[in-house]
Amino acid sequence: MPSDAIRAALVERLRISSAIADKDVREIEALPISVRQFPAETAVVRDGERATNCCLIADGFCARSKTIASGKRQILSLHIPGEIPDLMSLFLHVMDHDLSTLTPATLGFIKHDDLQKLHRRNPDLAEMFWRDTLIDAAMFREWIVNVGQRPAPARLAHVMIELRERLRLIGRVDGDSFEMPLTQEQVGETLGITSVHVNRVIKQVRQDGIVEFNRGRVTVLDERKFQELADFDVRYLHQSPTL
Amino acid sequence: MPRFHFDIHEGSRLIADEDGQNLANLGVARKEAMLTGASIAREAFLVGSTDHVVVDVREDEHATCLKISITLEVEELADG
Repeated sequence: MPSDAIRAALVERLRISSAIADKDVREIEALPISVRQFPAETAVVRDGERATNCCLIADGFCARSKTIASGKRQILSLHIPGEIPDLMSLFLHVMDHDLSTLTPATLGFIKHDDLQKLHRRNPDLAEMFWRDTLIDAAMFREWIVNVGQRPAPARLAHVMIELRERLRLIGRVDGDSFEMPLTQEQVGETLGITSVHVNRVIKQVRQDGIVEFNRGRVTVLDERKFQELADFDVRYLHQSPTL
Repeated sequence: MPRFHFDIHEGSRLIADEDGQNLANLGVARKEAMLTGASIAREAFLVGSTDHVVVDVREDEHATCLKISITLEVEELADG
C-alpha cells in the first residue's frame, strides 16, 4: 500500500469533521508511519501493555474491548479505516483495555515521540487530535446508553447506523448497504447479549422488513423504520467542525 | 467440541437455530440457554408479546437434551 493510501482515510475524515487545512494535511503526510499486516482477531495492543506507538487503521476493522474474570468479552467500540483508536495512549501510558483486529487489517504505527513533536510544533493539529479523543468519549457515552437502556433490536440498529455514518465519511457506504464484518458472536459481545439472542434479533428485524444482516454486510430495507427503531441522533458523532 | 442448537419458543412462535454453535460441554450450553432465555424473556414480557419463553437445547440432529422454561406470572391484588 503506498504511503498516501495509508493516510487517505484519516485525511478524508479530518477534512470533513475538522476542516483540516492543506498545510496540516502535508504535516500528516510527512509523519513517519511503519505499516504492518495483521490477521483477523489478533491483539494489536493488550490491556496492561505500555504503548509506544499509536495505531492508524489503513484497512480493515478493529475493536476495543475488555475481558472480565469469567472470560466474557465486552466490545467497547468498533473502528474503521482512518481512525486512530489508541490515540489516548499518547498520554495514558499503560493500556486499560485491549485493541484488536476483527478482520485482516493493514495498520500504520506512528511513534509517540513523532506525534508529540508534531503536537508541539503544530497546535492546530494537536487540537484536532484532542477533538478526536473527545468524540471518542461522546461515542462511549452513547454506547453506555445503548447497552444499558435500549432493547436488543434497537441496540443492534443503533450500532449499525453509527457504523454507517462513520463509514459514509470515508466514502464506504454503497447505496443501501455497507460493511459490518462481524460474526454473530462479535455482535453479541458488542450488544451484551448471547449470540443465540443476536440470531433471533437479526431474524426479527429482517422479518419486520427493516434491515438485513448477512455475511458481514448490512442492507437497509426500510430507512424510516430503521431510524425509528434505532432512536438515532447523529449529533454525538460531531461530524462537522461546527458541531 | 460438540455443536449445540438453541431453538426458541416465544409463546406459539418457534425460532429454530439452524446454525448452532460449538461449546465445550452441556454445562456451558446450559448457561448460554439460561442467559438467552432470560434476555429474550425480559424484552418479550415488557413488550407484552408473550408470557412464556422456552429454550430447547439439542446437540446437532439429536433430540432436545435440555429445556429451559421461563414464565411470567403477575398477580394483581385487589386490597394491595
